[in-house]
Amino acid sequence: MTAGHSQQNAAVVLLFIHLCFSGGYQLTELQVGLCHLCNGTVQNGTAVSQFCSASAGLIDGRCCLLRKENIRDADYIIGLYVSLSLDLSNCSLSRVEDLQDAFSATTIDLSLNPIVNLDDSLFEGFIQLANLILPANLVCPGGNASWDKVKVKGETHFCEGQKDICNQTGYLSLNCPENSLCVPYGPGFFQCSCVDAFRGYKCLREGEFPIIQVFGPLAGSTVLVSILLWLTQRRKAISV
Amino acid sequence: MSSPCCGFLAQYTHHHLVAFLLTFFSYVLLHASRKTFSNVKVSISAQWTPSVQNASSPAFSPGETWEENNLFADSDGATLFLGVLDTIFLFSYAVGLYMSGVIGDRMNLRYVLSFGLCGSAIVEFVFGTLTEWLQFYNIYLYCGLWVLNGLLQSAVWPCVVAVMGNWFGKSGRGFVFGLWSACASVGNILGAFLASSVLKYGYEYAFLVTSVLQFAGGVVVFFGLLTSPKEVGLCLESETGLRPVEKDADSHRPLMSDEEDEEGSEEVCDGGYYTIRQGDEEPRETPKAIGFCQAFCLPGVLPYSLAYACLKLVNYSFFFWLPFYLSRNFGWKEAQADRLSVWYDVGGIIGGTIQGLISDFMGKRAPVLAVSLLLAMGALVGYSHSPPDQVVNAALLATTGFFIGGPSNMISSAISADLGRQEALRGSQEALATVTGIVDGTGSIGAAAGQYLVSVIESKLGWMFVFYFFIVMTGCSIVFILPLIVTEIRAMWRERRARAQEL
Repeated sequence: MTAGHSQQNAAVVLLFIHLCFSGGYQLTELQVGLCHLCNGTVQNGTAVSQFCSASAGLIDGRCCLLRKENIRDADYIIGLYVSLSLDLSNCSLSRVEDLQDAFSATTIDLSLNPIVNLDDSLFEGFIQLANLILPANLVCPGGNASWDKVKVKGETHFCEGQKDICNQTGYLSLNCPENSLCVPYGPGFFQCSCVDAFRGYKCLREGEFPIIQVFGPLAGSTVLVSILLWLTQRRKAISV
Repeated sequence: MSSPCCGFLAQYTHHHLVAFLLTFFSYVLLHASRKTFSNVKVSISAQWTPSVQNASSPAFSPGETWEENNLFADSDGATLFLGVLDTIFLFSYAVGLYMSGVIGDRMNLRYVLSFGLCGSAIVEFVFGTLTEWLQFYNIYLYCGLWVLNGLLQSAVWPCVVAVMGNWFGKSGRGFVFGLWSACASVGNILGAFLASSVLKYGYEYAFLVTSVLQFAGGVVVFFGLLTSPKEVGLCLESETGLRPVEKDADSHRPLMSDEEDEEGSEEVCDGGYYTIRQGDEEPRETPKAIGFCQAFCLPGVLPYSLAYACLKLVNYSFFFWLPFYLSRNFGWKEAQADRLSVWYDVGGIIGGTIQGLISDFMGKRAPVLAVSLLLAMGALVGYSHSPPDQVVNAALLATTGFFIGGPSNMISSAISADLGRQEALRGSQEALATVTGIVDGTGSIGAAAGQYLVSVIESKLGWMFVFYFFIVMTGCSIVFILPLIVTEIRAMWRERRARAQEL
């Protein structure tokens, strides 16, 4: 037991160090905020706990942190990818205001809470959300058309597999303005991001202006012409 | 006091060429930077407004890319403000012209010219490039900067005309000035090409390039310009005139000849400014600069100023709004519209030169203007019904430019020079820059009032009514110079009869 525990502790320390290097600030905020929003740890028998034990993840409060290593020879640390699952079931939450800290979550469990309604915009930006578990009275954000599988089992509502809204034929009005493409941005959300070399406000600007190539010769020729003209014209000028 | 160098026939030295080119390119660069503003209106308007969406659809995300800037709620508000900016610029330009003409006749032309060029370049840089780099958009800042820009730019035109007047005398003035007055149109063309090539990187780079270019021009002018032949000890050539036209009793503006046909006139070098002394006037100091009111009351100044007000309104409306009209009305891309708008200026250059030549040969300017303006009204009607074909549009545009730009160029350059050197002054007063300032200042006021009217008419009534407005203005300019036309035609008839009687 102790061996396993110390192994876990070592893993946590390593994870923290890795997170610091890879800029995992959001996760540290998470650890203070959402993971400890309500008491206890990941509940037994929930989808999150099953998933967590199956993948040997780290449990911290209500969060399950899964360390996936994306090994690259040169930067082992940078290749670290952490997947997050959030278990907020049975928390006596009547309202959910802001889940933005968990925007990279793959699974969120909000079942068994007396939530009256959910603002659709709550899940804007949750591009990796593959499983959303809600109390039965709520609908999946973005409607049933935004999810691959929607099923109701007893008290809970399962939304599984976010659909790529940009590929849907039903959404005919999804035309991004010129020079931009549709990219999915959460269940029922999309963003128009600039293509290729276009950038800036409304993707109006293309390419990088060649400052040196334009102003170098200009400065040189100005100096040259000024000197030339001064020598031929003004050098012998008398003040009038 | 007479310099030993006088009495030569001055040849056109390399100094003449450099003076021509430097003044030519100063004004080219100035106009190029003005043209930049009008050519990037569509892009600026897009930068100031959020994305347009149907009422039912949600706003585009991310907000920083699509919705963040809302200096104006929609493009109509932005268009109206752009018209206001044009008006503000032209009004301050007009006020500045009245002052600069007076200043130019009293101060060192080279300093005033370089100061105007460099100062205006800095203001344009702040207006277009710095505000974009700092992402700071503010209506009052834009207005204030543009007022300053108008005042600084107004220093340039009277100075360049005065320098040209110092170097080039009356002989061949029509042709030389006609060629030289193409500078405005060449500037428009250069500005259009620069703007359209650089526009894809962002409109702030268009402003950057033209303002740096203008600043460089100011530096070159400071180091290289000789404002008059006296600065290198040269004299202007003796005035023989093109051909002595018989002076008629009631012709108050003998355009082509002045006092040359009088005996006993003595050429004297007087501060490098050419003056004709009559008979036995005592030698005196440098001619005094004329007062503003006296200059205004010179014969011919008022009717030509008013006619120029109407004409400059039409000319500048084309100049400021053409790319915008082309891209809104026909849906062409802004860079394409910029290139197409060049044809108007090409027509203007050809028109100015050819009509200047014709009026030189005829000896009269007003009839040439009248014919051209009548044909211009027809050309405007034709252009307003142009099909969306780019080639046809370009041809109609060039024709319109020929008939409108021609008179406009003539009035602002050759005729101003005539008025500023006319017999009524009798060589006793320095009036060239002042008269130029008055004519161009009145013209700019007309143009300023017109800019605001154009944007109001367009937003309320549409582009067709804007063209009707142009046609009415062209007609008004004919009306203003009607007395002069009548006088000149009567003079022509009398000459013909006199010649017929002699035979």
